[in-house]
Amino acid sequence: MSRIVILGAGIAGHVAASHLRRKLPKEHEVVVVSPNSNYQWIPSNIWVGIGRMKPKDILFPLAPLYAKKHIDYKQAKAISFYPEGDAEELKPYVLAEYVAGANKGTTEKVTYDYLINATGPKLNFEATEGLSPGKNKTHSVCTYTHADEAWNALNDLIQQMKQGKKAKILIGTGHAKATCQGAAFEYILNVEQELRRHKVRDMAQITWISNEYHLGDFGMDGMLMSYGSNIMKSSEMVEMIFEDRGISWILGVGVNKIEDGVAQYETLEGDYKTESYDFAMLIPSFSGHGFKAYNKDGKDITNKLFKGFMIVDADYTPKPYEEWSVQDWPETYQNPLYPNIFAPGIAFAPPHSISKPLKSKNGTDITPAPPRTGMPSGITAKLVADNIIEMIKHSNNELHHKGSMGNMGAACIASAGFGMTKGSGVSITTYPIVPDYNKYPDTQGRKLGKTFGTIGLAGHWLKLALHHAFIYKAKMKPFWWLIPE
Amino acid sequence: MTRRISKYKRFLMMNPIIQFFKFIYLSIKIMVVVAGGHGGTREIN
Ligand SMILES: Cc1cc2nc3c(=O)[nH]c(=O)nc-3n(C[C@H](O)[C@H](O)[C@H](O)COP(=O)(O)OP(=O)(O)OC[C@H]3O[C@@H](n4cnc5c(N)ncnc54)[C@H](O)[C@@H]3O)c2cc1C
Repeated sequence: MSRIVILGAGIAGHVAASHLRRKLPKEHEVVVVSPNSNYQWIPSNIWVGIGRMKPKDILFPLAPLYAKKHIDYKQAKAISFYPEGDAEELKPYVLAEYVAGANKGTTEKVTYDYLINATGPKLNFEATEGLSPGKNKTHSVCTYTHADEAWNALNDLIQQMKQGKKAKILIGTGHAKATCQGAAFEYILNVEQELRRHKVRDMAQITWISNEYHLGDFGMDGMLMSYGSNIMKSSEMVEMIFEDRGISWILGVGVNKIEDGVAQYETLEGDYKTESYDFAMLIPSFSGHGFKAYNKDGKDITNKLFKGFMIVDADYTPKPYEEWSVQDWPETYQNPLYPNIFAPGIAFAPPHSISKPLKSKNGTDITPAPPRTGMPSGITAKLVADNIIEMIKHSNNELHHKGSMGNMGAACIASAGFGMTKGSGVSITTYPIVPDYNKYPDTQGRKLGKTFGTIGLAGHWLKLALHHAFIYKAKMKPFWWLIPE
Repeated sequence: MTRRISKYKRFLMMNPIIQFFKFIYLSIKIMVVVAGGHGGTREIN
């Protein structure tokens, strides 16, 4: 009998837990440790942030589902890792603290045979002074609670605009090394459309602020893509959309301080500037959770397990941008020192960024961190689950399932406005996610045809269809496994 | 605001009938890209 412990019940953790439970006989235990009692379909937070969906539309409670599916669930947060056990506990374990219920505040040594760390990112608001959701007129859409608060504030502003107030709206990244530009991109377009719907668009100046050097970089070094019968750069496509929607932009900047209604930022030229606003949605930097790790003698081995995020089978040797290759990216998400520990989704430490790293004249890194979107998070979680299943069934450590982001496609359906007839979406697919400049030297590292973009109402329907399909899948309803990650 | 998308293109983008077919086409195309498989990059088979 094996015990597989999964930390986190986000996209990666939940995908891993559901596949493990479906494919493993009941004698093996699947345990999920996660502090949030709800599963949330994060991509739809954008619509909560414009008031077109309620938090209840994008979440469901985990405990009843896990009870029904024989998945052991602990509403707790992992604190520290003991991959060799300790003087009293011979099995490897994770120290977890309960966050709710009768055991709240107590800790437990959760032992495991296999561990999947799918704890995603810590939303590191503290890295930018004054950036905190709901404070200083800044908001976030990274959780459903944040998104709901953002909508309340935006709605207040819309009502004021209806009374004649002119407003400035600032949306983008709130740190020099933030990622998730795609979510901010969706939000700015949705906000713009909502202002039109409320007939106050002409009262608002909307500005995009980002650490990207070019529009449409998305932390992926931009893309060259098929667009209808043309070939277009993602920068050109986003520029076209922004100009068409009357959105201005500030690029290549690191926001470093927020005061009430004022964002301070540094430019690549080394200048320090400010931008005022009445409403801002700024994505914070993402970091690891600050977990500690100890060996069986109690010696701190945190740096063997973590490099901010968890160390996996990536090549972390520091090298210049020109020498980066797809081979640097992990394939199995297995920790090299402890082969029974894996980290899919956002929880693994990337070898480096995907976008070209740039420094300001003052030496500040202003480079988007690499995104790990929902699709690669799901795919990597599933392949980790499949490898663990084979390790258990064949009692060996061979890993047959591999999935490097340098050999994996992803679809990003960015909502550009909500509505069955008035909605819009920017549908982008990329293959591979991490550009392979050796394989595709003439097309900026990606395969044209498989890397394409299109804009229109169908994109909105697709995003809505994915919302329903993925919530259906997450609820593990009949034949859920037929829906791909 | 600078018009960057022509009226005709906007019509194509927002026409529900055209977009219905686009929806089917996109669903299949995305499935091909995404479900088209994934693998490692270090070993050449
Ligand atoms: C607003 C927004 C919109 C997005 N839109 C899209 C989109 O349209 N398409 C797309 O593909 N991707 C999108 N993404 C990205 C996508 O949401 C992420 O790629 C995905 O959520 C990553 O999954 P994950 O499981 O690695 O992390 P998460 O989903 O963040 O899950 C982490 C889990 O770990 C738990 N956890 C945290 N700390 C601990 C701890 N100490 N112990 C145990 N558990 C812990 C959390 O409660 C959570 O359950 C969007 C992201 C945002 C923020």
